[in-house]
Amino acid sequence: MNQACAEAQSSTAAESHLLPAELGALYDAHSRAIYYLALRFLGDAQKAEDATHDVFLKALRNMHQFRGEASARTWLYRIAINHCKNVRSAWHDRHVLPSSDNEFIERLPGGESPLRILETKELGDRIQRALDGLPAEYRLLLLLVSDQELSYQEAGALTGQSADAVRGKLFRARKAFAGIFAKTE
Amino acid sequence: MKPQNKFSTGRHQEQAAAAEQTAANSGALEFQSAEELLRHDAAQTVVPPEIARRLSKSIAESAPPRRPWWRKLLD
Repeated sequence: MNQACAEAQSSTAAESHLLPAELGALYDAHSRAIYYLALRFLGDAQKAEDATHDVFLKALRNMHQFRGEASARTWLYRIAINHCKNVRSAWHDRHVLPSSDNEFIERLPGGESPLRILETKELGDRIQRALDGLPAEYRLLLLLVSDQELSYQEAGALTGQSADAVRGKLFRARKAFAGIFAKTE
Repeated sequence: MKPQNKFSTGRHQEQAAAAEQTAANSGALEFQSAEELLRHDAAQTVVPPEIARRLSKSIAESAPPRRPWWRKLLD
């Protein structure tokens, strides 16, 4: 674990004592995953902060509805995805012309290749620009499956499709991401 | 980050080692997939401490007001 990572974890733990015990435990375990999803899905740190706050507040208010059929992480992701989609639809879709997946894929350079980067402060910006260039469905799938606590089946359940469909779309999403990311240098 | 290639043998291993050495010398990182890159990015991301403070405040403000003890006498 690097220093930034360790500092981030201790900071989260230090603040979560302010919360009621049942929420504090959830917050400790999942706030980073939820914040990261919101940050990269919405592409704005302030909106991600607001969204993470709202997601955990909704979770606390609806805790009686959580029956343990899914993992707590999956349950929180479901709340976060719905919330972030609502936030995006309020402003993003008015400014972006959607294109079909096929049109999108045809415009991409061929072939997946390792993503080689120089470690720079701009890495987060490059990742954000690459994610912003993807169709929303691909962006969400990549963000979900990059969480190792989530299986393809769970990612499929969260996005309303089978694990096989997730695999197929991920293949195209990875290729698309690599193509766009290479152009962000 | 060390590249992961389960199928590397012989010449491929040499090439991988050379690439790793080049990467190490130039301060570069190499990721085999978008997910790997995103995991690295997530690990570097700091959750703003302000969120927990705001949550604590929101919870306190949304709690129902406590009923004065004398209300019981009027009911």
